Amino acid sequence: MSSLAADRSHTIRRWRRRLTRGLIYLALLVTTVVMLYPFWYMADNAFRSLEQYQLQSGFSLASWRELFNTLPVGRQLVNSTILVTGSIALILVASTTAGYALGVLRYRFSSLVFLLVISSMMVPMQSIIIPEYVNLAQLGFVNHFYGAILVYAALGAPFSTFLMTAYFRRLPEDVIEAALMDGLGFGRIFLQIMLPLAVPAIVTIVVLQFIQIWDDLLVGLLFLQTPDVRPITVGLATIPSQHLLNVPVLMAGSLVSAAPAIIVYLIFQRYLIAGLTTGVGK
Amino acid sequence: MLALIGGLLLYPIGQTFYYSFTTWDGITSQWIGPSTYTTLFRSPEFVRVLENNAMIVLAIPVAILIPLAVALLINSHLHGWRLFRSVYFLPTAVSWVVIGFVAVRFFANDGILQNLLNSIGLGFLHPDMLAHERSALLAVMITFVWSMFGTNLIIFLAGLATIDQDIYDAAKMDGAGALSVIFRITIPLLKRFIQFTFVITLITAFTALFSLIFVMTGGGPGFGTTTLEFFIYQNGFAQSYFGLGATAGVVLFVIVFAISMVQLRLLRTDD
Repeated sequence: MSSLAADRSHTIRRWRRRLTRGLIYLALLVTTVVMLYPFWYMADNAFRSLEQYQLQSGFSLASWRELFNTLPVGRQLVNSTILVTGSIALILVASTTAGYALGVLRYRFSSLVFLLVISSMMVPMQSIIIPEYVNLAQLGFVNHFYGAILVYAALGAPFSTFLMTAYFRRLPEDVIEAALMDGLGFGRIFLQIMLPLAVPAIVTIVVLQFIQIWDDLLVGLLFLQTPDVRPITVGLATIPSQHLLNVPVLMAGSLVSAAPAIIVYLIFQRYLIAGLTTGVGK
Repeated sequence: MLALIGGLLLYPIGQTFYYSFTTWDGITSQWIGPSTYTTLFRSPEFVRVLENNAMIVLAIPVAILIPLAVALLINSHLHGWRLFRSVYFLPTAVSWVVIGFVAVRFFANDGILQNLLNSIGLGFLHPDMLAHERSALLAVMITFVWSMFGTNLIIFLAGLATIDQDIYDAAKMDGAGALSVIFRITIPLLKRFIQFTFVITLITAFTALFSLIFVMTGGGPGFGTTTLEFFIYQNGFAQSYFGLGATAGVVLFVIVFAISMVQLRLLRTDD
């Protein structure tokens, strides 16, 4: 082969590689537009009055004023925060202690208990929601934060316990043995050694549950029925129907209810990804 | 811990089974027996509901193949792939309620889709998707695929990260082309990740679309977008047919339980 022909085939190959690369970028950019457009749409229309929306020109805060007159936005953001904090606290207490007991101490029956935890992960919320509602209504728990917190905690605890158990099992055993040699009891080992070691798993649970509970509709809809105790996502979903056609107000509401979860996501992405891929194993 | 799970998950599922054989309005219940199930399965609405769920299941291959393809593109280590990953994963943090409100604006008669069609001269089509039973279900399915994209993408990227670079190098030495590497090496190695996305997408399809349907269509028009989980909510809470809701709850439980069993089976055979 002459050097000229080799040169030419080399150039062709280089151009082909550039072309593929360009096409890949194009595909990824199109996907980016598809994934981001809804966010752009929200931000673009939330800052218009109804008239400005119809004309698609001009910006104002009119719709935000209307949103705050329609929904107790501040109150509902506080409600969401109370619910998320309370539920996560309960989930953490339950899942770290249970994970320690199941993964490290291994009492009698612990494999049976672990099986129970795993099988309760498979119970879909909608299958139990009717008796759950009736039970808690009979106890007078409906429309109180603690009722909804109990339900969220029960729904979040099985997966979190599974995650904690798996995490504790992976810790090297000599850590515990060394601590036992030092004369520490199992309680102190848990508080002083295991919990600090488990921080990454704990953060993963917090982030997963924050997003899950903040974004939930069904539990809040049923167990918190008056606007004063509703979390923001539920408040938005049940916005009085005369506002359903007011796009800018809806978009302002969407923006304000989505923002906290998005911020948490942007800060703790890594942990969220870790949590989602736990199930596949490594 | 056990009290929490026992009292709030396991006890109610037992109640669901018991009340599924009764008529129940939340206060008094009357034992009917297994005929509640035959009544349920004979009602045309319920058949329609199962049909809707089956249709949504048809969207699952799409919800898996698109993120798989994009994961393969991202994995070719382009500049800025982390940025693409963050952007694509963002919707995972957003409530289905919010996604639903924007989706309504997209599919509505005067919405974004109609504007797009107008601008390319196809405005006369007037799909008005949310107004017709079949197309409303299609709109829900499209939104569902959009929302699952990030989650499934992340799982595939995690899977691709487990594949040793040496395997690719060896294949390249043997003169394998890019496509044959993907089909002969990458995809077989991703098998368990594909199974995993399949299972979680399936479970999501059966148990997590409530908020989306609540906001987008309210189950309508007619029973056009009523799925099993939405049917339970409607019967239990909009109409106080708690017994009927419980019967449907058992059906949902059995389906989800069967899917989970398959998943456990798959995980075990791989170990």
